[in-house]
Amino acid sequence: MDPLVVLYGSFALLIAGAIVTCLTSFNARASGYVAFVVMLVAAVAVFYVAARVFLYGPIVSQQPLLYLPGLATSLTVRVDQMSALFLVLIFFISLLATLYSVDYMLYYRHESVVRYYPFLLAFVAGMMGVVTVSDMFFFFVFWEFMTLASYALVIYEKESPVTLRAGFKYFFLTHIGTICMFVAAIILYQHQGSFSFTAMAAGIKELLASNPGLVDVILALFFIGCATKAAALPFGVWLPDAHPAAPSGVSAILSGVMIKMGIYGLLRVFVEFLPVSHTTYVWGMIIACFGALSLFVGTLTALVQEDSKRLLAFHSIGQIGYVLLAIGAGLSFLPILPAISAVALIAGLYHVVNHACFKSLLFLNAGSVMYRTGTRELNKLGGLAGLMPVTAATALVASLSIAGLPPFNAFVSKWLIFQTTIIGGIDAPLLLVFGVAAVFISGVTLASFMKFMGTSFYGKRPKLIDSLGIKDVPATMIVPQVVLAALCVALGVAPFAVLTVLYLALGSAGLSSYLPSLLSLFGTNPIAVGLSLGEGVTGAWNPLVFVVIGVITFLVVWLIYVDAGAKVRITESWYCGEHHEPDLVKYRAHSYYLPFKRLFTFKIGEHQIEGFYPEVKLPKITPPEGLRRALDLDRLLYYPLASLIMVLARRFSDVHVGVAQVYVAWMSLGMLAAIVVLLSLAQAL
Amino acid sequence: MAVAIGTGAINILLALVLSPLFEGLIRKIKARIHSRVGPPFVQPYYDLLKLLGKEDLQVSRSYLLRLAPMLTLSSLLVAALLVPIGTIKPPLAGTGDALLLVYVIGLAAVATMLASMVSENPYSLVGMAREMMMMLTVEPVMAVSLMVAAVNCRSFMVSDMVAWHSVHGPSLSMILAGLALFLAMQAQAGKLPFDVAEAETELIGGLFIEQSGPKFALFKWALMAKMVIFSAILVEVFMPWPKTLNLPLDVAITVAKMLVVILLIGIIDSVNPRVKINQALSYFFVVMFVGLAGLAFALVGA
Repeated sequence: MDPLVVLYGSFALLIAGAIVTCLTSFNARASGYVAFVVMLVAAVAVFYVAARVFLYGPIVSQQPLLYLPGLATSLTVRVDQMSALFLVLIFFISLLATLYSVDYMLYYRHESVVRYYPFLLAFVAGMMGVVTVSDMFFFFVFWEFMTLASYALVIYEKESPVTLRAGFKYFFLTHIGTICMFVAAIILYQHQGSFSFTAMAAGIKELLASNPGLVDVILALFFIGCATKAAALPFGVWLPDAHPAAPSGVSAILSGVMIKMGIYGLLRVFVEFLPVSHTTYVWGMIIACFGALSLFVGTLTALVQEDSKRLLAFHSIGQIGYVLLAIGAGLSFLPILPAISAVALIAGLYHVVNHACFKSLLFLNAGSVMYRTGTRELNKLGGLAGLMPVTAATALVASLSIAGLPPFNAFVSKWLIFQTTIIGGIDAPLLLVFGVAAVFISGVTLASFMKFMGTSFYGKRPKLIDSLGIKDVPATMIVPQVVLAALCVALGVAPFAVLTVLYLALGSAGLSSYLPSLLSLFGTNPIAVGLSLGEGVTGAWNPLVFVVIGVITFLVVWLIYVDAGAKVRITESWYCGEHHEPDLVKYRAHSYYLPFKRLFTFKIGEHQIEGFYPEVKLPKITPPEGLRRALDLDRLLYYPLASLIMVLARRFSDVHVGVAQVYVAWMSLGMLAAIVVLLSLAQAL
Repeated sequence: MAVAIGTGAINILLALVLSPLFEGLIRKIKARIHSRVGPPFVQPYYDLLKLLGKEDLQVSRSYLLRLAPMLTLSSLLVAALLVPIGTIKPPLAGTGDALLLVYVIGLAAVATMLASMVSENPYSLVGMAREMMMMLTVEPVMAVSLMVAAVNCRSFMVSDMVAWHSVHGPSLSMILAGLALFLAMQAQAGKLPFDVAEAETELIGGLFIEQSGPKFALFKWALMAKMVIFSAILVEVFMPWPKTLNLPLDVAITVAKMLVVILLIGIIDSVNPRVKINQALSYFFVVMFVGLAGLAFALVGA
């Protein structure tokens, strides 16, 4: 089958699904299953297309789907390996999130799913468009499609003012970013007369020779747009409000996939459009700086959070920081050290994939806890592992993954990021400093997730939670969590396969002439990574041997333990001989790491700044009184009309006096009048 | 392969079988400083044997509670295989590098903390939070020290670091990094003045309050193994001379150097009171700067 037709078909299917779920929305579960089936079919189709792309090379549409002569722009589709990679990510995570939503959406008893599934499918369709078009104008069309659909999903709980405010912040800030990007694209359009990606690249190349200052402006505008979407600080201040506000399935897609669209945009602009030059080096450094800022501030702020989804949202900023640091390092080394540059870019992409897995999983875990307990506040939770064992186990896998412990997936990407920033940092000391910060923040991430696990799943169970009679979540919510947890392990123990795919994706983004061969970077052993950044092997990671040796040593220790033959007895916790109620002796989320948090908390004037994250409060926008009055339709239209009707009605009601004789008099008068009129008419004729 | 198995056996022997002997040495020194006779050198073996046979009290039936002690000790054994003792190449040279070593030691700490979280006791949770804070400040010190070596030899392979340092001789950056690592060791091995996570007098064992019998034995054993591994990293990466290239002789020299390091740890342990957690944190931020100074010198090639 023609892969392009399959691609168009799955897009049409998503849109059709959006309409069908509108019609079925009276039944929330049925709607959910319809959306899931639609997503499943579309996902299978897209995976087929992606497989074709990775096997046989990019797919390009021969004639445009749509041509706008006035703008000289056309809707052309081009799916290369980079697009295919992001397509797989989008559809995989969205599919699982849709399945998860089937039962999860029953949590919102007072809201209709008519504002959920149609927008969810449209959202996925929008993201699909963003990564497949090869024309800047339609890129923006789909970008807006995605933003608006996700806005509708963020404000799903429309009764809550906090949610509406978060939604507004999201809407406002991402649109500033989009405007910046659009201005940059229009500047290039003026030079080239076309919005196609090739024209954009050609425009940047020409301007680089004639007017390098303008190129910097264009790149800055593109960077602001993409960084806002990717939620790099200081542009990403919308994220910590918007992600917790959305339903958990959507939070998983927002954090797992949507913010990666910003990374996709960055890669297209800075890797594909921008020719390798000194400008690449400068902008690589700038991107790395913003990455380091995000990972440092975002993660330290996450450490002080006491709301599970807000904590995860801040970690999204932190993890995007790792991605940007890697991509920035990769770009800046591109002109001088191709091997380190290639590994850094691949590490950034690897972290994108990993983050999609573990962060989606964590949002689903937090959602499951909320589904059963009705709260996101870590201070109120505790001891859920005994009641929700599968959710707890998958959350543990995700926590160990995000902390980058071997043999889970993020270990590989973080390991590559540390390798490249530190070995590469010999030639660029700034990156070395960022590398050290990244190592430190890796520990902070671990601390934050130990708190997350310790407060929600382990520790003493409060009485309130005991009284709820909780059991683990339904199967449709369990399956996505287990699949994602399995993926976190699989991507960690099979790094070579992932690296090969990412290498192909990177090669398709116009870098093929700069990339050293895959085997020269990662060694020839198909089950291990023998990294060479300079002369010889400079780092090694063989997950299979590691796991085997780990199992052997574990068995040795287990034999010692079993040989001892000690009897096991279940007892109560020991409170030094006293009796305490569990609620009284619970170690709350707030108490974790207080001395350490105090080191990173500063007080400036009256404002307490935690984890040096300035809480940006958008000023309440109040339009001038005159404008408000001029636009007040109530005053101009509704009230005058209403009072007019009232006056008329009152006049009319005067007639109704309720006395029979008066009505008879009116009737005889009317009859008389009618007779007179009829007689005079008859005479006239 | 044969060499790897042989050196691996030596490492396991030192980390698992002989590590209680090092602990016995520390206890003897401590006793001498206190003007006591002290227990025999083999007392830690007796302790472990006694604990292994004791009744195993558990506060919950959690699978993690049962697995965590074994996970802790077994990840430290993997870490022991990533460190060269007497040789230049560690037994598992192809499996991992210095960064993996840092993370595997972190894995052991995570397993310990998980065990204390699952045991539900508030004392153990306080201990766990303290252990995590110590890890937050101590682990980066260790990572930075190894980074100094990595920047010097332009590779993260432990074998390259040892080879580079044994050829190039001492340098300012490596001395500073070694110093930082040595100062961090006291906390990593859970010795005074930095045993804030256990803090018997305030937290009644903190992390380990609910651990009893064989589980406690494994945790204690893990701490002893940790000390051996750390002293091995210190002497092999930061003081690798002299290398005679004769395996038994090199192993003997390394063990002798490790004994000196452990002796120093024992002396520091005996003469210091426990510090408060916030004092420990600020102290390690200073130590971190020693490591970073080493890194700066490494960049300029000093």
